[in-house]
Amino acid sequence: MTAEPIVPARARTALPLLTQAEQRISPEWVRISMASAIALRMKSGRFTRDFEFGGINLLLNYDEGCLSDCGYCGLARTRPGAYEDKSFIRVEWPLVRIGDLVDRMGAHEASLTRLCISMVTHGHAYRDTCDITRRIAARVDTPLSILVAPPTLNRERLETFKALGVDMIGIGVDAVTEELFRSIRTDVPAGGLKWEKYWEVVDDSREIFGPWKVNVHTLVGLGETDEDLISIFTRLRDRQIFSYLFCFNPEPDSRMAGHPKSPLTRWRRIQLAKQLIETEGYTLDQFDFDAGGGLTHLSASRAAVEAVVDQGVAFMTNGCPGEKGEPGCTRPYGSYRPAEDFRDFPFLPQAADLERIRAQMRLDEVLR
Amino acid sequence: MTDTDKTALVQVAGFPLALDRMYEGRTHMWVARVGTGDPSIARIGLDSVGVETNGTLAQLSLPEVGEQLTVGRPFGQLEAAKFVGPLVSPVSGTVVARNEAAAADPGLTERDPYGDGWLIEVALTDFGAWLDGLTGEPDEIVAWFEAEISDYRMKGVIAQ
Repeated sequence: MTAEPIVPARARTALPLLTQAEQRISPEWVRISMASAIALRMKSGRFTRDFEFGGINLLLNYDEGCLSDCGYCGLARTRPGAYEDKSFIRVEWPLVRIGDLVDRMGAHEASLTRLCISMVTHGHAYRDTCDITRRIAARVDTPLSILVAPPTLNRERLETFKALGVDMIGIGVDAVTEELFRSIRTDVPAGGLKWEKYWEVVDDSREIFGPWKVNVHTLVGLGETDEDLISIFTRLRDRQIFSYLFCFNPEPDSRMAGHPKSPLTRWRRIQLAKQLIETEGYTLDQFDFDAGGGLTHLSASRAAVEAVVDQGVAFMTNGCPGEKGEPGCTRPYGSYRPAEDFRDFPFLPQAADLERIRAQMRLDEVLR
Repeated sequence: MTDTDKTALVQVAGFPLALDRMYEGRTHMWVARVGTGDPSIARIGLDSVGVETNGTLAQLSLPEVGEQLTVGRPFGQLEAAKFVGPLVSPVSGTVVARNEAAAADPGLTERDPYGDGWLIEVALTDFGAWLDGLTGEPDEIVAWFEAEISDYRMKGVIAQ
């Protein structure tokens, strides 16, 4: 038993202290998601519900931050505040030394399911991603993905990623139509991202990494229609490319801070539609839309659709798989607060969850 | 008593612990009597391990003054980066004050859980009964606290 008088102070974290002179930038420093920090015991904390978690997400870090300026992103260049203080996808991302992180990965390798490096738009991003990939691959065998920054890449660089051991590539298209992409990511104060460049990287990645090894991030709630989303799901499926659903969550002080989240009913139906398309082979002509592109009817047998709902997989987080095909990257509470309803489940929804999902989805209105 | 008695603060396995109050073991709530008036007023808060194991606090939802509390029942909610759970009352009584500063900045409860980060004050329903279920002997408190830290470390909830 240890009991000695102290002054009231509390060390929350095991992360090392810094000297002012130290530059905390990649590749020596990276940010990691709070869930990753908890899983690797670099931060204290827990999840509301118990589940296995082993998907570690890293984010490159630079003093200048990300040089893109996407209207919905917490890291946007013109979002107020110092880059140090910016959040990415709702919560703080702790800054850690890559050496410490790789050591932790080694110590916890048995429980890790998937690793992912998120690039940002920066001149050193490609070089540093290669460096970090080498260090990780030299230490652990956990499958590794990269969420790429297309403006920094070309075909040769994608081939280098593959040669370094990366097995899956993600492309954050996010805005699913060209018009929306331009309005949110191109024609903005410090924008300039090119829709064509993003799809060029999708095409190259598909050729280099193969079928079902590439994913396109599609963000629900930026102003697109149901038809826009369901249409892109079918086009990507036909090319054996995954669509990964993300739910728009307004980041404070971003240009879209006042933009509402997608209603849960719409979100659930989109989750279901994507599953029907990706795993059950549904085609675009099985979905009817109103003049505004809203989903009005699904031509399918009720029993078949109910069976997919019962499986629950449709409502889980979309992410790269683990080594044996299990959910690998599950990002708990990534786009919603713990006090809110799950948007995507980091585990297979249980019976009570499915009951709630059904109530939220109001399937009767579109199955008739 | 309204201020933490600094001499009563000890460190146990890396965490501060105040020995000038009582604890409800399952919820990590502390209870400290405020003054000697009638009815008896108790100040309530979370201990340092109770705060730490939830992760970075995001929001504290506290009851309004005048609300009735029942021992063992939720009186509010704590939300952290990846966790949400009830705040469970260690006593029965009526809320007479809530810490507006902590409600506005939960970081205050993280930084000073035994002092400025207190949560609510309650006029106790039955002073004779309020000690039931609470641990007040310093040796017992330290032993319980140490065991809890060890258990949380085993579960991987505390950073290492």
